[in-house]
Amino acid sequence: MDNKLKVISFGFIAGILSGLLGVGGGIILVPLMVTYLGITQHIAHGTSLAVIVPTAVAGSIVYGFNGNINFMPALNLAVGSILGASLGARWMKKIPAKQLKQLFGVFLVLVGIRMLIS
Amino acid sequence: MTIILITLLAGLVAGILSGLLGVGGGLLLIPIMIFLLGMSQHAAQGISLLVIIPTAMAGIWQLHKAKMVNYNLALYLACGSILGALISSTFVQYIPAAQLKLIFGVFVIIMGIRTILKTLKS
Repeated sequence: MDNKLKVISFGFIAGILSGLLGVGGGIILVPLMVTYLGITQHIAHGTSLAVIVPTAVAGSIVYGFNGNINFMPALNLAVGSILGASLGARWMKKIPAKQLKQLFGVFLVLVGIRMLIS
Repeated sequence: MTIILITLLAGLVAGILSGLLGVGGGLLLIPIMIFLLGMSQHAAQGISLLVIIPTAMAGIWQLHKAKMVNYNLALYLACGSILGALISSTFVQYIPAAQLKLIFGVFVIIMGIRTILKTLKS
């Protein structure tokens, strides 16, 4: 039960950040699962995607009610991103855990620096 | 036409990162929408959330077959994250865009440095 509460609270933190920043929450879910729940890097990525879907649904409903949803660009982006996600996931399965983790870390730093520079 | 090509390509790159890194792809989608498509931070975030849904589902489709999705764990995480997302996306409308960008950047850098440091220690 203690563990379940811990897991739910990790989800809560990721959800807060997801709605606040308009992201899926995977950037916090993955490190939390790997560091505190002992989940392997690959399974953390797969599980993160499974959490992201209902979280993004909840977030976009609220954004939609507030009039901040524009469907046309979303549709155009989704065409490419669905294809990309299939390719990326196939590729991920072949990468060793340590390299996958390093790739993840470098990605976060690069994106973060870009956001601050702008 | 150019805009449509940029959009498709941006979606493709965000999707590859999503499937590869287990994220939604919003981290990449939001700056692309702001800088290349000229959208406001709030509009970009709303679209990002919408695009994330089918993207993550496509990734799950691939990883499910490889047994890389822990659905039991995902269920408990999702209980918390849905609640969190509902609270914060309601609240976000009252936060100015400039502050949002700052929170966004600082948060991502801290998480990235932590992750890299962990692989160097091991």
